[in-house]
Amino acid sequence: MNWTRQHPGWAMFAAMIGLLLFLWGMALPLAAAPSPIGPAAEQFADGARITVGLTLIAGSAGVLIGVLAGLGKLSRFWPLRWLCDSYVWLIRGTPLLLQILFVWLALPTIMPEGVELSDFACAAIALSLNVGAYNTECVRAGILAVPHGQVEAARALGLTPLQTFMDVILPQSMRVALPALANNLASLVKDSSLAYAISVVELTMVGYRVQAESYQPIPVFVTIAAIYLILTTAFTTLTAALEAQLDVGQKR
Amino acid sequence: MNSEAVPRPIIEARAIGKRFGAFHALRDVSATFHEGQVTAIVGPSGSGKSTFLRTLNRLEAHDSGEIVIDGIVLSDDIKNLNAIRREVGMVFQSFNLFSHLTILRNLTLAPMRVRRMARAAAEEKAMNLLERVGLKTQASKYPVQLSGGQQQRVAIARALAMDPKVLLFDEPTSALDPEMVNEVLAVMRELAYSGITMLVVTHEMGFAREVADRVIFFDEGVILEDTTPESFFSNPGHERAKAFLSQVRHGF
Ligand SMILES: Nc1ncnc2c1ncn2[C@@H]1O[C@H](COP(=O)(O)OP(=O)(O)O)[C@@H](O)[C@H]1O
Ligand SMILES: [Mg+2]
Repeated sequence: MNWTRQHPGWAMFAAMIGLLLFLWGMALPLAAAPSPIGPAAEQFADGARITVGLTLIAGSAGVLIGVLAGLGKLSRFWPLRWLCDSYVWLIRGTPLLLQILFVWLALPTIMPEGVELSDFACAAIALSLNVGAYNTECVRAGILAVPHGQVEAARALGLTPLQTFMDVILPQSMRVALPALANNLASLVKDSSLAYAISVVELTMVGYRVQAESYQPIPVFVTIAAIYLILTTAFTTLTAALEAQLDVGQKR
Repeated sequence: MNSEAVPRPIIEARAIGKRFGAFHALRDVSATFHEGQVTAIVGPSGSGKSTFLRTLNRLEAHDSGEIVIDGIVLSDDIKNLNAIRREVGMVFQSFNLFSHLTILRNLTLAPMRVRRMARAAAEEKAMNLLERVGLKTQASKYPVQLSGGQQQRVAIARALAMDPKVLLFDEPTSALDPEMVNEVLAVMRELAYSGITMLVVTHEMGFAREVADRVIFFDEGVILEDTTPESFFSNPGHERAKAFLSQVRHGF
C-alpha cells in the first residue's frame, strides 16, 4: 500500500479503471475457461455487476445516512438524538437477513398504491440502512475528534453553521472516520450476498445456480471467491487512496 | 495616535454580566472602544479577560447588559450576528488554523464563502496579506509544516483577509516558544500603526506599554483600571494592579 500512499490520485484512478475494465471485460477470459465456468461466463459477469451496483449504491447512501444520523446523534434537540440512537440500536441489534426480508415483505404493504419496489431496490434500501447505522458511529466519533478551536475559528470568521460543517468539520472528521468507513464498505461487498434471499441474482446466487446445474461446486465457488477477492481488493485500494488524499496536513 | 480627531465608538459594552453556573466570570463590565484605538487587556489568569473578549463576537453569550458593535446590537439574531462577525476578527492563543487546508486556502475560505469573493480575487488578496506578514513563500504548505510563530502570523493574515474593523487577540504569543514571540509582536505592531482597532489580551507588558493607547486591568470579573499605559505602569491605582505588575516584572 506504499505506492497508494505516495500517489493517492493515481491509485484512486487506477482502482476505478481496473474495477470498470474488470466488470465489462471479465466475461471474455471467463468464456475461454473450461466447463462449468466457460458456458456461464455471462452469468458471472452479470452477478458481479449486480454485486458492485448494490455496493456502490448502498455504500454512497450509507455514507449519507451515516453523516446525517451521526450529526443527529450530536444534536441538541433530544427527539432527534433519540431517533438516531434508536435507529442505530435497532439495526445493530438485529440480523441483516431479517432487515432485508423486512424491507422486501413488509415495506410493500405500507407503501402507497402504485409504488412498486423491485427486488434490487429492496436489497439496496436494506443494505443502505444497515451500513448507514454502522457508519453513524464512525462519523460521530470523527466529528467529536475535531478540535473545538477549529469550529470557533470558523464561526469567528463569519461562516454560518452550515458552512462551518461543510468546509471545516466534515472534511476533518472524515479524515478520522475514513478507515472505519472503508472497513464497512469492504464488509458491504460481502454482505450484499444476502440479497440472494430475496431472489436478487448477485454473485453468490449465480454461483449457487451454476453449481446446481453442473454438479461441480469446487471450481464454481473458487471462481466466485476469486471475483469477490478482486472486488474487495479494488475497493480497499480505492479507500486507502482516499485516506491518503485526506491525510494531507496531518501530523504523522 | 489617532487622538486628535474625535474617534467614533465602534464597540460599546454596557454592564456585561456572564456566569458559568454559579461562577460569576464577568460582573457589570462596561467599556467603550473607539475606532483606531489599541487597547491592551491585562490581569491575572482567570480574571475574565478571555470571557470578555469572547462575548464581543458571541463565542460566549453574555447573560446581562448590552453590546453594540458598529451600531448593531449583539444578540442571537443570526443576521446581526453574521454582520458582526464579518466586522470583528479574532486571533486565538492556539492559532486554530484549519489543519486540512493549505495556508492559502486558510486565507481564502472566509472571503469566498462569507464575502462571496471570486477565487482569483481572494487569492490575490491572500498573497498580498501573506507578503505583509512575511510568509508569501509558504502559501502552498499546510499549517503543521509551519512553526508556531509562522502559524500565528498566518492566523493574523487570515483574520485580516475579511477586512475586519476590529481585531481581537486572545494571548496571541502565550503558546509560542520565546524565540518566536517577537516575529508575531512585530506584525501586531505594524498593524497597530496601520490604524485598525485592536483589543489585545496579553502578558507582554513591553508590548502593552509601547504600542497600546490604553490599558484595561481585569480582576475577578471587573475592570479595576482603565487608563493610559503611562499611568498604569508608573502609577497603578489599585493594590491588586500593583501586585500583578510586580509579579509579571519579577517573573513567577
Ligand atoms: N466555558 C466555561 N465554563 C466554565 N467556566 C469557565 C468557562 N470559560 C471560562 N470559565 C471560567 O471563568 C473564569 C474566567 O476565565 P477567562 O475569561 O478564561 O480568564 P482569563 O482569560 O482572564 O484567564 C475562569 O475561572 C474560568 O475557569
Ligand atoms: Mg484567557
